[in-house]
Amino acid sequence: MTDGPTPRQPGRRGLIVKVWDAPTRWVHGLIIVLIALAWWTESHDQMDWHIRIGCALLGVVLFRLAWGVLGGANARFANFVRSPRAVLRYAIKLATGAKAEADLGHNPMGGWSVVALLGVMAAEIGFGLFCVDVDGLESGPLADRVSFHAGRAAAHWHTVLFNILLALIALHLCAIAFYGLVRRDNLIGPMLTGRKRLATAEGDMQPPLRGSAVALSISAVAAAGLAVWAAYGFKL
Amino acid sequence: MGRGWRSAIFTATAVAVVVAASAATADVLGVIQARQGHFKEIGKAAKALSEQLKSPTPALPVVQASAKQIDALAPQLLTWFPAGSGLPTGLKTQAKAEIWTKLDEFKRDAAAFADAAHKLDLVAAGGDFSAIRAQAQVMGQTCKTCHEAFRQRDD
Repeated sequence: MTDGPTPRQPGRRGLIVKVWDAPTRWVHGLIIVLIALAWWTESHDQMDWHIRIGCALLGVVLFRLAWGVLGGANARFANFVRSPRAVLRYAIKLATGAKAEADLGHNPMGGWSVVALLGVMAAEIGFGLFCVDVDGLESGPLADRVSFHAGRAAAHWHTVLFNILLALIALHLCAIAFYGLVRRDNLIGPMLTGRKRLATAEGDMQPPLRGSAVALSISAVAAAGLAVWAAYGFKL
Repeated sequence: MGRGWRSAIFTATAVAVVVAASAATADVLGVIQARQGHFKEIGKAAKALSEQLKSPTPALPVVQASAKQIDALAPQLLTWFPAGSGLPTGLKTQAKAEIWTKLDEFKRDAAAFADAAHKLDLVAAGGDFSAIRAQAQVMGQTCKTCHEAFRQRDD
């Protein structure tokens, strides 16, 4: 590790760059909190709260999808969903322990993990909207559109997908641990502060494009509106 | 008796045993499927009922018809559980063995459900929605109590 001074941060080791914008970090934090709450309320028979939390999570996921199109550079799907070849090349680098360039934003494998997590969450919430419990008494906000039989099937898939989601979360945590312990790359700090310190100044790192306030407002209002509307069974 | 006879009797007995066993399994399967059909009827009625009770403009006739349907089915519940039709059969059912090992408790839960369903039917006939909602809660609790103890969770 070289201690070469950099033009921007003289006297300090490395260069600090912004990697995650605030909306992306808030989404991440809210998802952690809301999934924990949804799990807890379901296992403690608090179904009214479970459904409210699910609808809040729907809003967060919808926002993230909008932000993936309109948001800051590192939040955009177009910038982090990479080809299978790029994923394979990156995987070989990881497996051989080769020194990869510093990951600013999602690496080629992490990008697909984001897609998988968001996709499974979206499907999980989608089925949740139509769920009916075994007694026919508790139900998601759109369950009145489907039969008891279909609502029970939705509940089955809601359970299956939750287990898949838990597996993906476990994989996500393992990856974070792998980067921290094996590659000495702390991923948690940047997700909290938004900033990452690079060991060396590698090239001329541009700070990532920030999402505009207009894009933020449109995404937030549209996502919240849709989620609330769904929570009321699209009956407003 | 010659060898031919012996093997013919053996074969006939084996066939008879297999046929009898599969007939018995078919019987149990029929019992299980009929039971599941009855519970699905109750579930459908309960879903229709609770949707109305959640609605800002509930339809009383739907509430009354659903309550009546549940009240008609609830007293039959115990007859849907003949011994030997539970999980230990290895068939696709969620009826736990405890139903028969703790039969008194199971009977008490079933009676509580039938009682609550009957009261719901009476209250629904009265047409007072706050009373109907309260009694629907009471009945829902009897479903849960029994399911927690005696129904294998799959989900």
